[in-house]
Amino acid sequence: MTLAPRWRKVVRDLAEHPVRCALAVLAMTAGAFGVGTILTSYTILTRELKATYDGTIPASAVLTVEHLDDAALAAVRALPDVAEAESRPAIYARARLANGDARAMTLFVMDGNRIDRIASSDCGGKAIADCLAALRPDEILVERSSMSVAHAAVGDRIVMKTSDGTERSLRIAGTVHAAGLAPGWMDHHVAAFANPRSLQHARGGRLLVVVRGDRLDESHIRVVASDVRALLARRGLNVVDIEIPRPGRHPHADQMATFLFLLGCFGVLALALSAVLVATMIHALLTEQLRQVGVMKALGATTTQIAALYLVQVSLLACAALILGMPLGFAAGRAYTAFAANMLNATVASHAVPAWAIAAQIAAGLLVPLLVAAGPVLHASRISVHDALANDAGRRAFGASAFDRLLARIAWLPRPLMLSLRTAFRRRGRLALTVATLAAGGAVFVTTLDAAAAWRRVLAEEGEARRYDLDVRLAEPRPIAELANALARVPEVAHAEYWTESVARLPRVVKTPVRVRVHGLDDEHALLVRPQVPTSLLALPLLQGRWLRAGDRGVAVVNQSLLARVPPLRLGDPLRLRVDGRDVSLRLVGVVKELAPIPAVYTTEAPPPVATRSIRIVTRAHDVATRRAAARAIERVLPRVTSVQSLADTRQAFADHLVIINTALLLAATLVLLVGTLGLASTMALSVVERTRELGIMGSLGATPNALARDVVLQGVVISALSWCVALAFAVPLTLFVNATTGRMFIGAPLPFVVAPAGALGWLALVLILGALASLQPAWRASQLTIREALAYE
Amino acid sequence: MITLRGVTKQYATPAGAFAALRGVDLDITAGEFVAIVGKSGSGKSTLLNMIGGIDRPSSGSVAVGGTAIESLAPNALATWRGRSVGFVFQFFQLLPTLTVAENVMLPLDFSGALPEKQRRARAAQLLERLGVAEQAAKLPSALSGGQQQRVAIARALANDPPLLLADEPTGNLDSATSADIFHLFRELAFGGRTVVVVTHERDVDTGVSRTVRIVDGSVTR
Ligand SMILES: Nc1ncnc2c1ncn2[C@@H]1O[C@H](COP(=O)(O)OP(=O)(O)OP(=O)(O)O)[C@@H](O)[C@H]1O
Ligand SMILES: [Mg+2]
Repeated sequence: MTLAPRWRKVVRDLAEHPVRCALAVLAMTAGAFGVGTILTSYTILTRELKATYDGTIPASAVLTVEHLDDAALAAVRALPDVAEAESRPAIYARARLANGDARAMTLFVMDGNRIDRIASSDCGGKAIADCLAALRPDEILVERSSMSVAHAAVGDRIVMKTSDGTERSLRIAGTVHAAGLAPGWMDHHVAAFANPRSLQHARGGRLLVVVRGDRLDESHIRVVASDVRALLARRGLNVVDIEIPRPGRHPHADQMATFLFLLGCFGVLALALSAVLVATMIHALLTEQLRQVGVMKALGATTTQIAALYLVQVSLLACAALILGMPLGFAAGRAYTAFAANMLNATVASHAVPAWAIAAQIAAGLLVPLLVAAGPVLHASRISVHDALANDAGRRAFGASAFDRLLARIAWLPRPLMLSLRTAFRRRGRLALTVATLAAGGAVFVTTLDAAAAWRRVLAEEGEARRYDLDVRLAEPRPIAELANALARVPEVAHAEYWTESVARLPRVVKTPVRVRVHGLDDEHALLVRPQVPTSLLALPLLQGRWLRAGDRGVAVVNQSLLARVPPLRLGDPLRLRVDGRDVSLRLVGVVKELAPIPAVYTTEAPPPVATRSIRIVTRAHDVATRRAAARAIERVLPRVTSVQSLADTRQAFADHLVIINTALLLAATLVLLVGTLGLASTMALSVVERTRELGIMGSLGATPNALARDVVLQGVVISALSWCVALAFAVPLTLFVNATTGRMFIGAPLPFVVAPAGALGWLALVLILGALASLQPAWRASQLTIREALAYE
Repeated sequence: MITLRGVTKQYATPAGAFAALRGVDLDITAGEFVAIVGKSGSGKSTLLNMIGGIDRPSSGSVAVGGTAIESLAPNALATWRGRSVGFVFQFFQLLPTLTVAENVMLPLDFSGALPEKQRRARAAQLLERLGVAEQAAKLPSALSGGQQQRVAIARALANDPPLLLADEPTGNLDSATSADIFHLFRELAFGGRTVVVVTHERDVDTGVSRTVRIVDGSVTR
């Protein structure tokens, strides 16, 4: 088949400029890749997360009941609005690991698997029902993501120490997957499962209920839950607590949504930048082709024919970009999905991308370049023959504007730098776009580091505010004198304070849907803490008012999280709480800032407590080894310890939660950076093409090839340096945005604005290197030009 | 064949409107070989562009072969130009990425005049006639100036247009080659084609049938 000459021209023009074509294809690829990554991860993650979660038949409500019996369970099941009810006692214990460390452990007793289902993961190929049934006494199954926390393998034993002090050795018979639980490694927590026979110990009931009717209607669920409570109350059973998870929502759905939103923002940014880049590239290409357009028109080509030529050219490039970008986007999207699924303890059953997402990707990959090309193409193909053949078609003469003349006056700079500057500013529109694109990449990069620094600051401030190393909880209050005596025998303990804590119910709460419960507290509750006053262990940053003083009576300091949940309160106002069944009114004297989104009230206690179950401990040294030694000793000497929380570990767990955000940001930065570098490379390549004649003249005047190459590289570096300044300016609003979004998600308040010097300086180094790299090929070309060629260039 | 009546052309310049053509009346009959001469900046190219429909007059009328050019819409003008006018430029203006033969076939491609298969034959025949058949498969950059101009003329003849327009076609060629090119134009005119060439005074004796002299945008006798 022979192609008509004009189509052959299309193909050869592309082949004539392989580097420029490659750059254009890469720019479009970046766009296609961005869209592909987002669509792939978005569609797979939302679908699979929902499927995994729905597949577990999540409980509509979880009621904590004292002594739930079979008859009561049967009665609950008989309620018309209850579809399923199951008893799932949980034992909150300590797991003593082979290496001597202890971890928090929750052992669920599986009296059926119809609600909050678990699936077998590594259980000798057995289905979950058989796997549970086959458990011998003292055998358990461990959630697969907890295995690394337990430092154990299938067949190993761990020692479970319950709050009453009894210890039993349990054998890990296999692993299971509980999709509704957060991954154990994230919370440094071991989740395990047993059957009622394998573990005779099943006191303290948890009742899981699935409602009949609309399972997604929270108010319906609340009604049914209170019906169940009423029924149990009539049978003399006390419901201690009701938890209603957000219906139909994976516990981490919000994190996922915020994260996908951020990823989406950056994907759109990458697409937009790549579109801008494509537009400038095509514009430059057409400017160069104007004379040829004129000739073709003189030969009888119509506007439509010319436009078709160039649009086909763009389509060819776009197709190539799609062929490259789509598989890459899928691969990246899938890799990210796998990563996120691991973070969320979900299983991805199918990596299939829905047809609409593929169609959308193809449409974006083809239409976006064509749309952005349409303007320049129409402009070029409409030009009159006369204008096109005019000598300076499409070129703006240097010196035409006041700015040029200003540049021309900067004569005190070294000659090469001066020339680079003037050249860089010759094409002002393109320069602006190049700088902006590169700066966008830099801004994301700087933002990533700034946000990470903000988190470090937040965690450091938290470390400043809480000056103890270990937070120890006991199963029940013990005399402080006895505790102090016991701790005196632990050499690693330098100082201990005995605080008391209880749970307070907040009055007239603002009606917000109950979210994932945090540390066992519903939104309607607050933690009431009575620290030692004055204390050397707590220095929370004050937002308003003052901290507690010795001699204070009936006053309260609250955290910002509590303030957000009660009707507006000002200093001096009374704060009404219900504590241990009594109504208490405290005068608000201060507001403090705390990392955790748990509402908390700090107050004083008179007379000082004689017994407590909550101890704050400062260790003699603050390294890991000392902390671990202290923790082990404390578990040994104190009676019925339920938890020994190392604050450093808590902060680490928190930092682990942030990995997902940082990865997303880094991914985005890389993508935008890639586009920015491409933009710079193409600008440099174009500039060399445009300056061919000028470079030839310089050569004829005695400039060495090396000097010419150095000039080009210098120009690249000048542009990079310029973009660095702009990037710093862009980074400020972007950092504020990211800090606000992620801060609200994790700590319920925007993060402080922190400038990471490493971000700004690292970016400067990086952008200068990128600038030099991007100009290498054009510089090489410039140095290879022979004077004859350069001067013959049309 | 060509009738210009009261054609003026004004260019807007920073110093105000500048009249490149001032009321030009001109008749050229079919088969004439006309040279347009005048000093640099007198308006020769402007006049030629009016005839070829490359530029539009500010006022007045231009009719070529019975077609009122100023009444054509841009696309109709392009189609008309492709079929009725062959252009030859001073700097040859061959498309650098197309071979010589493909450059010649390009106007056929735009006009869709001949069936696909006959285009190549037509190009070969034209190149043969202009003595550059040997160069058919080469890229323009491999040709000498004279050869390039011959290819450009072959390209201008591709659609067999009744009118051939050339703006200083020999401006970049030595005098021997220039003479050859003019000889070619004369032959084409003998063959019944109308040929209008913008040129320098020294070429006027190369057998043109008429010389039109332009001074400051006006045709003088
Ligand atoms: N686009 C334009 N804008 C303003 N003035 C123009 C423009 N094009 C041509 N002119 C002016 O019109 C006049 C005629 O130009 P034209 O190109 O027709 O001259 P010419 O006779 O072909 O000259 P030469 O022999 O140098 O090619 C000149 O004075 C020129 O400066
Ligand atoms: Mg001229």
